Amino acid sequence: MMPRKLTPLQALLMGLALIVVLFPVFWIVMTAIKPPTDWNASPAIWVPSKPTLINFQTLFNPDAIREYGVGGVSQAATDAVIGSLLASVSATAISVVIGLFSAIGISRYGNGGKSTPLVILSGRMFPPAAIAVPFVIMFSTIGLIDSYPGLIAIYAAVTLPFSTWMLKSFVEDLPREIEEAAMIDGQSRMMAHLTVTIPLIKGGLFATTMFVFILNWSEFMFALVLSYSNVSTIPVQLAKYVTATAGTLYGVQAALAVLAMVPLVIVGYRIQSHLARGMTFGAIKQ
Amino acid sequence: MSMTMTTAHMTTTYATYAEGMATGASTGAECAMPGAGLPPALVVDGLSKRFGGNAALDGVGFDVPQGALTVILGPAGAGKTTTLRLVAGLDTPDAGTVELAGRDAAGLEPRERDIAMIFDNLALYPDKTGFQNIANPLVIRRMARDEMEARVAEVAATLQITHVLHRLPKTMSGGERQRVALGRALVRTPALFLLDEPLSSLDAKLRIELRAELKRLQRERGCTFLMATPDFNEAMAIGDTVVLLRQGRVVQVDAPQRLYDAPVDREAALFVGSPQINLLEAAYVPGEDGGHMVAAGTQQAAPAHLALAFGGVARRFELGIRPENLRLTEPGAGTTSGAITGELADIEALGLKSVLTVANPAARLRVLVDSAEARPLRLGQPVELEAVNTPRMLAFDPDGGRSLLHG
Repeated sequence: MMPRKLTPLQALLMGLALIVVLFPVFWIVMTAIKPPTDWNASPAIWVPSKPTLINFQTLFNPDAIREYGVGGVSQAATDAVIGSLLASVSATAISVVIGLFSAIGISRYGNGGKSTPLVILSGRMFPPAAIAVPFVIMFSTIGLIDSYPGLIAIYAAVTLPFSTWMLKSFVEDLPREIEEAAMIDGQSRMMAHLTVTIPLIKGGLFATTMFVFILNWSEFMFALVLSYSNVSTIPVQLAKYVTATAGTLYGVQAALAVLAMVPLVIVGYRIQSHLARGMTFGAIKQ
Repeated sequence: MSMTMTTAHMTTTYATYAEGMATGASTGAECAMPGAGLPPALVVDGLSKRFGGNAALDGVGFDVPQGALTVILGPAGAGKTTTLRLVAGLDTPDAGTVELAGRDAAGLEPRERDIAMIFDNLALYPDKTGFQNIANPLVIRRMARDEMEARVAEVAATLQITHVLHRLPKTMSGGERQRVALGRALVRTPALFLLDEPLSSLDAKLRIELRAELKRLQRERGCTFLMATPDFNEAMAIGDTVVLLRQGRVVQVDAPQRLYDAPVDREAALFVGSPQINLLEAAYVPGEDGGHMVAAGTQQAAPAHLALAFGGVARRFELGIRPENLRLTEPGAGTTSGAITGELADIEALGLKSVLTVANPAARLRVLVDSAEARPLRLGQPVELEAVNTPRMLAFDPDGGRSLLHG
């Protein structure tokens, strides 16, 4: 895609949109480096005069913040970060791999007929709260409650409709004749999909992985109701920074939020070139 | 079991290949030459396929002999692509059988069928260069690098695409992409080539050049081609046999000239030939010397083959006369018996030839004449026509349009 010159009006609108999108990011980053006295100062302090890393230190050493005379959280965020990584990475991998093969099966071989894709999607048609409690009971019975396998299973199941449907649209965008050409050239169906279909929908695969990962990474409710002590994730940990003595530890929360953004920003930046469409230009007669 | 057979066959093909290279044959790889007693390369029988509620194919059957170029001719939506896809094993038929070299192909994957196919939309690998596209079938078969390069270079030279071998499809012109797609098929020597409108995106000059080239390659290498096209000129030009397909059914299987001279029904007659055949409401009246017929407001002796077909029984029919079988007669030279009079309604110049449209209250007729003959004519002037080559006249049933000359 060629870079396009913006008209002044477009540039203005783009600028406004950027402010709306980036302001919360700015605010959270600033809060993360504020000392406790600045957290909820009135009038608001936009940029702290004495930036500090104490909030980040407190994440991994809960007592660090006591030098400012506040405290009360006993649990470090280390387990939550590791737990989030474990649950999100595993569940995303499972969801995307199953979704990819479902997408190819549905769009190339009509597997499941007309109704299966809709049945898969119907998994998203009721509020998660409606299934959370039944899952607590079921998982308690089969011993999956408060365990990573349980959380990973439910994350994969909940995001599978998204993976399947997103990837299905990318597979359908790719002319089937390209992979059929590989079958004619001498490859088995499976090899044709592995060596032709998948590389050509790489952009869609990255986009789907990213999207599903964000869903899993920021999931709160299932993590809350399905975990007691063994399992912790970043969103659940965020809710724990409320103390009886000092109220909400805004700065520490912000520090954890900033930490949670880092992998998304890095990955998003690295794959952005793959997100562009138009990978198949020239393959078929227009 | 089937895999073993495929492998064995491939080995034989490669041996033939190597021989061709060693003897320095200019066309390179040779397809298996047809031998006596070999089964047809392809026998399709009772093939049916539905998509949703629509029958794409309804009991299609035909043979493709070894070493011949068979053309599936039909308008868009006739089922040409569906037929090729079923033969290739890309889709599964609802009913019917596909037999490749005497072997039932049911359940075989495309790669087990020893076929090459050129897709309607080309389907090049967008992330591979011209070389990689053409070499792909050889890479999959793990051919040695030297031999592979030699083979690709040779095919590229034949197709005149050596200059695009290092380029990606997106930087190629339409004609170059089309030839790369041809190259990807021609680099192999499968038992059967399936070509789905392989020349459709080329400009007229290149299309005619390349179709002659295809025909030459096919004949010299003794390959078996099954090619789909909506263009009857192309079918006539290169086909040994034409399978005329319409709405998922085989209408006629014949040599191209036979299809032109003796179409089985009115629609086939209209589809094959340009300018289109003239169809006139006509009546046959039996009598001495075979009787006569009335058409286009005139009366003339019935040609013997029509009289014979009608068996001396009076009837209405539709008379078919190809535009080249009508001739302008000198006006005022004394009206010959059976002359058709009318006024000149249109002149369409085609270069060497021109198409005249002559109208009278009973009919509008297209007449193919030399352009020199058309030059002095003025629109609206009265003209006189006579039918020549009357043994080539066709007759169709006004109800249903079946030819009355076929059994």
